[in-house]
Amino acid sequence: MTVSAFLGNGFDDEPRACAAGSGAFADYDLEARFYDEVFQTDGKPRESCRKLVNSLARASADELATLQEGVARRFVHEGITFTVLGATRMSEHIIPIDCVPRVLTAAEWDHIDRGLRQRLTAMNLFLRDIYHEGYSLRDGVIPHELVLGCPQYRVEMRGLKVPHDVYVAVCGTDVVRTNNGFAVLEDNLRVPSGVSYMLACRSAIKKAFPRLYRAQGVREIARYPEHLYTTLTSLGSWGRDPRVAVLTPGHYNSAYYEHAFLAGEMGAELVEGRDLVVHDAIVYVRTASGLKRIDVIYRRVDDDFLDPVTFRSDSLLGVPGLFNAYRTGNVVIANAPGTGVADDKAVYSYVPRIIRYFLDEEPILANVETHLCREPDGLAYTLDHLEDLVVKEVGGSGGYGMLVGPHSTAAEREAYAARLRADPTNFISQPVLDLSRASCFVDGRLEPRHVDVRPFVLRGREDIHISPGGLCRVALRKGSLVVNSSQGGGCKDLWILRD
Amino acid sequence: MLARAAADFYWMGRYLERTEHTARLLEYQLTRLVDTPADQLALGWRVVYTTLGHPVPQVPTDADEAEVFLIADAYTLAGTLVEDETNPNSMISCWSRARENARQLRPWLPVRVWTCLNQGFMWIRDCDFARAWAEGPAELALEAIDRLHLLVGVVDAMMSRDDAWRFMELGRLVERLQHQAVLLDTWVRAGQPSNGPRLSWSDLLRVCRAYELYRRRRSIQVRRESAIGFLVRNPELPRSLRFAVHRIEQLLSGIDPRGARYPLAPPHRMAIRLAASVEMDPGNENQAPGDELDSFTALLRDSRQLHDLIMATYVNYPVERGLPS
Repeated sequence: MTVSAFLGNGFDDEPRACAAGSGAFADYDLEARFYDEVFQTDGKPRESCRKLVNSLARASADELATLQEGVARRFVHEGITFTVLGATRMSEHIIPIDCVPRVLTAAEWDHIDRGLRQRLTAMNLFLRDIYHEGYSLRDGVIPHELVLGCPQYRVEMRGLKVPHDVYVAVCGTDVVRTNNGFAVLEDNLRVPSGVSYMLACRSAIKKAFPRLYRAQGVREIARYPEHLYTTLTSLGSWGRDPRVAVLTPGHYNSAYYEHAFLAGEMGAELVEGRDLVVHDAIVYVRTASGLKRIDVIYRRVDDDFLDPVTFRSDSLLGVPGLFNAYRTGNVVIANAPGTGVADDKAVYSYVPRIIRYFLDEEPILANVETHLCREPDGLAYTLDHLEDLVVKEVGGSGGYGMLVGPHSTAAEREAYAARLRADPTNFISQPVLDLSRASCFVDGRLEPRHVDVRPFVLRGREDIHISPGGLCRVALRKGSLVVNSSQGGGCKDLWILRD
Repeated sequence: MLARAAADFYWMGRYLERTEHTARLLEYQLTRLVDTPADQLALGWRVVYTTLGHPVPQVPTDADEAEVFLIADAYTLAGTLVEDETNPNSMISCWSRARENARQLRPWLPVRVWTCLNQGFMWIRDCDFARAWAEGPAELALEAIDRLHLLVGVVDAMMSRDDAWRFMELGRLVERLQHQAVLLDTWVRAGQPSNGPRLSWSDLLRVCRAYELYRRRRSIQVRRESAIGFLVRNPELPRSLRFAVHRIEQLLSGIDPRGARYPLAPPHRMAIRLAASVEMDPGNENQAPGDELDSFTALLRDSRQLHDLIMATYVNYPVERGLPS
């Protein structure tokens, strides 16, 4: 039987559903400690995954391997890559993709959706407040020094009127699931990446499981670039079609593929700092037929590298005078400079309080228990329990510079403890989470692997749009909890079912 | 069109054309391995290397000695042009640079064009040269040419005729103009009266994919002046100098934001001057044999200046000149 034939038949109304530990799932190891996205604790498939399980159960390992290869080959040929900074040179890698989609029900998604809306609304209010009146600091919602001492806090933004008070227009929040339900692991409010992989995954998996996809009633995500364009252009008023540019650090950046993809899909210019010129506080792009005005910049560079006149003077990536043009209101920059203070890993632990303070609501999505090493108790606890904790740098990202206690050696812990004592304010610790697991096709077998998901939230002038899906990241190494692509993680498609 | 993107499209076109040019010369030389006397092959390698701007290799000139080293030399000399990543003009280097340009152009490039270019690059990157050589030395060059032609076809089918396409075509044709001028110059020099081995004029036509057309339009007997004139001025031949210059002029008319109204942009003026030179000088019946060389040198100088003018006018112009009026 060909792969396509198997995919096309037999999944629907199948009386016998394959259980974990039998058929194609023979090696599937259910551990009660981890919430399994596909199977219930009794080994039967969850209702939402029944069609998927039946479909997979009918396939031989060879058929699944062919399918997996086909999906991966597509990524290779289309050059869906990320760049990794090596010791001596940059290398381009294909992001590993797993062919088995993860499925969430409409009700589960609704919960996440409401939680993310609430969170982003509160974060924008919080950012406006700390750069203006500072009520939340005065009322002790969050320690003064934590915000004002944060390296991502930009004094240049104080008192500056941000269009429609939208500081964070594009956000990617990492959501995990444990046996206790969904929780937010971290917010990415500066330059969240991964949305192109979400779309590429969907496009590949849709081709691999055409009939199953149709039968499952999966919600569409393909219009994300259009929503992004609408969101960005809603932040200003122009009497003409505004010209949008995606500002990238360049093709050596790990997310360059994504920058190029989004610019292409939105019909925007993909620019580097050297392509932009500021003249009389107006931003222009150098085209082959002269300079053309730019109205909106979707920046994918960090604050430090935006404008060497205002921020880091040694930056070669920035555009001299860009911040002045922004201050004058001649250009919209999304996300606004200075948003990094709100996704600092130390500030993260205060988000539930921020939500209560600004919205007078209980947080819909929980936070993960976090110990701040800047506080003596937090530091002592962290040092005493290094073996059981995950320790992260407050400004870190991409899985770099973190210590996963249970997977570390005594020497690594000792070295990390020295770093902690030397600069405790730079670290936080969290318990090792029992991340939920989803089925993956690894080494010719279907096995459970730990996953998280990064949904993408857009905040325009009037409303919030959340794509019904997200980048589902998976730790492909057995037992690993690190899902970052730079650390051996891969991605899989996330199917949000209609009601 | 972003100025940097215009430059990337232009360079992408140039690198792809350069790769194809190298592949064609290699195919010519490697096909002759079977039955050509060693001293002629040695001359062929000198012409190929000179045309591609490489230092001329030390190839034995003595016929007997050349015979002994024939295959070993060919393997090394071809390898340098195909797989040597330290050689900036090798096929893999040029393909890689074209891909690097394309990678920066993803928003403007249809997915199929990128995929085709990327697959071609991966093919040559993963190609085992020693094995390909064992299977037939010329096959590798032929497959490279086929893959490049496939890409040209995909570009033709998929890309809108906008500035992106124009700059890419412009790059290809400027590269072609320069290469053809150098090739003609080198071939003519190699054919200067001497007692040594000669390269045939029909081979020159074959390298330029012009032999069949020449045979139909002129004669099966190939004469020197006639062949040079044909390669310079035939309007139907994609690799004639006239064809390249004429297309360059058309493309520059399309690119010019003033719609090619007077005063013309500097690159456009240079293209017109090149067109006049091609029309009047090299291979002209009134020229004495050997005088073409001066014309080729002048053409090459002007075509390099054309490149500089394109960059100065559309890419590296001063800010004051680019501000909207």
